Amino acid sequence: MTVGTRARRPHVHATGAASTAVRPLLDAPRRAARVLAAFPAGAYLQVRTDREPSVIALLASGATRLPNAVLLAGEPPRLTVGDDASVGDGAVRLGRLSLRASRWWDPAPPLGEADPAALREAAAGLTAGEPALAGEPAVELLASGCASGRLLDVLTAAERLVGLGPGLTPSGDDVLAGLMVTLRLLGAATGAGRAVWLADWLAATVTYDARTRTTPLSATLLHCAALGQASPEVAAVLRALTGRGPLEPALRRLHRLGHTSGSDLAQGIGIGARSVLSFCPSGSFRSREYA
Amino acid sequence: MTLLSGPPHVVTAGVDLLREALDAQAVPTTPVDWRPPLPGTAGALARVLADPRRRAANERAVHRLTSSRPLLVGVRRASELLDLPQPMFLHAGPPLDWERASGPMRGALIGAMLLEGYALAEEDARARLESGAVRLEPCHHHRTVGPMAGVVSPSMWMFEVRDDVHEGVAYCSLNEGLGRVLRYGAYGPEVLDRLGWMDRVLGPVLSAAVELAGPIDLRALAAQALQMGDELHNRNRAATSLLLRELAPYVVNAAPGHAAEVLRFVGGNDHFFLNAAMAAAKVSADAARDVPGSSLVVAMARNGTDFGVQVSGLGDRWFTGPAGVPDGLYLGAYGPADANPDIGDSTITETAGLGGFAMAAAPAIVRFVGGEVADAVAATRSMYEITLAEHPAYQIPALGFRGTPVGIDVTLVARTGLLPVVNTGIAGRVAGTGQVGAGLVSPPVEAFTSALLALAESALDPFDQ
Amino acid sequence: MSSAVVVRAGVYHDSVTLMRVSRALSDLPGMDVALVAMATELNLAMARDLGFDPPPAGPADLLVALRGQDVAAAERELDRLLSALSSARGSSGSSSYGLAGAEGPPPRTTRSAAARAGEDAGVALISVPGEHVLPEAVDAVEAGLDVMIFSDGVPVWQEVLLKRLAAEHGVLVMGPDCGTAVIAGVGLGFANVLRPGPVGVVAASGTGAQQVTSLLDLAGVGVRHVLGVGGRDLSREVGGLSAVRALRLLDEDPATELIVLVSKPPDPEVARAVQEVVESLRTPVVPALTGRDDLTDAAERVLRALGTPVPAWPSWPAPARRPPKPGAVRGLYAGGTLCAEAAAIAASGPGAASASGAAPGSWSGSESGSEAGAGTGSGEASGRGSGEFVDFGDDAYTRGRAHPLIDPALRLDALARVGPGEVALLDVVLGHGADPDPAASLAPAVARCPAAAVVVALVGTEGDPQGLHRQAAAFREAGASVFVSNAQAARYARDLR
Repeated sequence: MTVGTRARRPHVHATGAASTAVRPLLDAPRRAARVLAAFPAGAYLQVRTDREPSVIALLASGATRLPNAVLLAGEPPRLTVGDDASVGDGAVRLGRLSLRASRWWDPAPPLGEADPAALREAAAGLTAGEPALAGEPAVELLASGCASGRLLDVLTAAERLVGLGPGLTPSGDDVLAGLMVTLRLLGAATGAGRAVWLADWLAATVTYDARTRTTPLSATLLHCAALGQASPEVAAVLRALTGRGPLEPALRRLHRLGHTSGSDLAQGIGIGARSVLSFCPSGSFRSREYA
Repeated sequence: MTLLSGPPHVVTAGVDLLREALDAQAVPTTPVDWRPPLPGTAGALARVLADPRRRAANERAVHRLTSSRPLLVGVRRASELLDLPQPMFLHAGPPLDWERASGPMRGALIGAMLLEGYALAEEDARARLESGAVRLEPCHHHRTVGPMAGVVSPSMWMFEVRDDVHEGVAYCSLNEGLGRVLRYGAYGPEVLDRLGWMDRVLGPVLSAAVELAGPIDLRALAAQALQMGDELHNRNRAATSLLLRELAPYVVNAAPGHAAEVLRFVGGNDHFFLNAAMAAAKVSADAARDVPGSSLVVAMARNGTDFGVQVSGLGDRWFTGPAGVPDGLYLGAYGPADANPDIGDSTITETAGLGGFAMAAAPAIVRFVGGEVADAVAATRSMYEITLAEHPAYQIPALGFRGTPVGIDVTLVARTGLLPVVNTGIAGRVAGTGQVGAGLVSPPVEAFTSALLALAESALDPFDQ
Repeated sequence: MSSAVVVRAGVYHDSVTLMRVSRALSDLPGMDVALVAMATELNLAMARDLGFDPPPAGPADLLVALRGQDVAAAERELDRLLSALSSARGSSGSSSYGLAGAEGPPPRTTRSAAARAGEDAGVALISVPGEHVLPEAVDAVEAGLDVMIFSDGVPVWQEVLLKRLAAEHGVLVMGPDCGTAVIAGVGLGFANVLRPGPVGVVAASGTGAQQVTSLLDLAGVGVRHVLGVGGRDLSREVGGLSAVRALRLLDEDPATELIVLVSKPPDPEVARAVQEVVESLRTPVVPALTGRDDLTDAAERVLRALGTPVPAWPSWPAPARRPPKPGAVRGLYAGGTLCAEAAAIAASGPGAASASGAAPGSWSGSESGSEAGAGTGSGEASGRGSGEFVDFGDDAYTRGRAHPLIDPALRLDALARVGPGEVALLDVVLGHGADPDPAASLAPAVARCPAAAVVVALVGTEGDPQGLHRQAAAFREAGASVFVSNAQAARYARDLR
């Protein structure tokens, strides 16, 4: 509550928690934006910019923290698709509402060192759930390419998968997002340089023309995933794979996401984890050094 | 989730501004509606909570309370079960003498004098009681509980309840029905006639029937009755029916000649099960006694003058305050002016997670005690704030089969200022009147605060190794 | 003019909330006096001093004393504010059991709240009055929650007990008297809005940690966690129980690359024990010992360790209104550590670069370093020069009133009483929990202040709700010099001609 007798201001001020992935958008000079989609738990805003991220998810505090999200402290505003907005100079402005970040979170928290042997053991517990693209040849090509390190297969499969499937976040994109985050973060954690190298290639391929091949929201999420940014549900599964925390409950929470999103992401994580294992320097566990 | 793995969900207690700052950050919080503890208890609370024995002691005590399995194993005369040298009576509540006894307590004692033939007329009985010639001791000191005045004399028939798990035993007299009855302080000819019939017919027949039936699981009966709208203190209709269903064939077998009148008497008395429930609660609560360092309440009882509590870690000591006058509905032309202060051992049901604590299970009695269904649910919910556990067997369908709140912790009473919710009958103030109503009563705060101060005195020093 | 004094039995609100309610009522047109407080002996006496005749009441009752042109309107406003509070708290209203929603009446103890929050719950933030902290904190620890105890006035034996209990249950107790913590970006208590990053902080000093982390944020370096441990943690009695646990937690956190330990110079024996732990960690630790090396130095050492360039700290010096008496600095502080740091600097000779000769960055080094830091907590940390420093955040000034980061009243009075030949030096700390617009009350007082000059140490980040630059501009407009480094502010104040 606010105790005070201050005169009413033209703007309603609100606060929220923001992912650092959208900090460049908020810190930049003000740009026009519009409401791309609106639903009870929030809305997606598309900012007029050539660069990624370009879509911000405004979500109620209980919603899944997408890597491009700003969580609202109060009730989400009632919005309609096409409403004008602006983003920049430290705030998101929607009609009379002016929204500022009162805390920041890191959507790509480092995993720390991970022992490949422990990863191998934990990865055995990865369950696929029911991904939408089970049996899809492009996914199988992606998996075999990642396991064997055949770059051409991986990139061919990735090109086929971008934008594949219905909805705001097509299943093909979710699989790729899960895969890229896993290769980058688990690769770094286990010292599997080749996995990170593969992630770099995938990132370049997938983000090159994502904006013309999939939905604007999904293009932003692919961009985030290319940098290793993901929702906490994905991060929790990766953390569990490195032996920090139980895997089973983390997986359960991941599978609950979206319609098939959680299972699609899990499928990508599974492909990524097996790939990382195949690239791991055998039996080595680097001792932690501080540079 | 470990501390550093992600943004936490925060429980907040204290300055609201700090919770608001978390709200502004879109951080989920669960705020405590915190208020200062009862006046004068802060220091004692700290000492008791610092007692290194407390946590394990309370876990052990409440586990014993909730894991007991009370079985009705017999119906026998008090003189067989109890050491009652003549002339001596048991009474409800903490210790009491004639001088401080209230009207209904005096009436019940006079009735017992007449019943046992220790006096031939009321005046004679009164004079002998006044002279101190009759010993008076609390039921609770003899593994016994008695409703209202709770007077137990040698010839009375008692429920004998055993706890298989902790090997305890407890007793309670048989219920006489409502209206003009001894336990409410009436001692007129019809009262004594009924007691005479119970002595000659009801007691022996039930005794034989229970023997034929074998042990009856009272915990299972109570658990079923809770799901049928009883709370086992002010409403025992379902439990009485369930007991009757168990016993009826054996009553017929044991005494075909008396079966009809016995079954009619039990079936016509909705409170018949109460006394069995009380003995069951008593044997469970006694299992939790004498755990050093425990702040669990093991008895709450009233003698019509004082309300007393006993605490597991403090042995047989009573902590008392003046008994309050219940707030409720009155029968006929009676009103609050006719009411006696709170009386009876039946608060043993609340002590064991029944009665007022299980109000949400018994929406039907809510109007009787002057409230709405939402009040009953809220009453039960508020008792979770002062209890240590949820009962594993006694469940409330309306709360999603959540266990009833059980195991009152003196420290939680002092911290929240929430007093146990007690359902009770109301006795007439004047000896000989009988029941005048029923309602809710609040225990006196000082019974709990003085128990807390005593716990603080006996607390171990956490740094004394 | 009419007046009214009433007691509302059994209505409880915390002192900060009631202070805000009292202030809102006082601001109503024509109000002379509005006192809304719990009926403690202190507050009853205050009501009598104000000419009211309060009925008998106790600390669990709400005392309302009003005098003004329209007392009835004030009472209606009071009812409105209090009912807004109750609904915000989800409390059940007037009836003792109230309506039973799906959740039922709100939890009355931390134990019950933790049970309701279930496995979601991670941390308990406790800010009840000090004498009532123990039960809530024990509840939290036994429920497996980490605990931040914001309250002061908790007896030291209870602190030791809680920290031992926490070790048994594998949780961290931050505090008592822990003003700040940041966990994965979530600010608890007084905390700045910091960008996430590689630095972890263990802090026995709240405002000290706020200074270091705010400077890091300004330099573009993010902070992962700030774990407060309470000002007494590194004393001999407590033995650094929480500092050691916090260091280990940060060491195990894969995202923390460097740890800063902010403290007054600890008890020598405790220092040795902590040093052993520090040496066993895989993560490097940079000490920031107030009174031995200044906090700005410490922040700069952290930047160098991370290979980040040290920026010029923003400052907006203004000339003195008239020449001050040399060295006549009057420090009016809200933060104890900042106060001690400034007092030490003011006491050292002009031109001296730091408060003492001890080697900066040494943790358990020479014990002969300056002990000026020990002045914190004594209320009046007098410098050795002609300056005088007051820590308005000390227990002696916060009994019965809110912390100066929330309630500016005492500092407003003090600003008006600074001598014309003196330099007023004050800290303004931004962030969550603090005054939402400190310049609104302090800047006019700065403008009116009779001092020769006013110097403000402004601790905060641009991301803070109050906005660092907005606040700086307001103080500059009022004629003050503004520094984001407290040490620089103190040196500037000391050396003003």
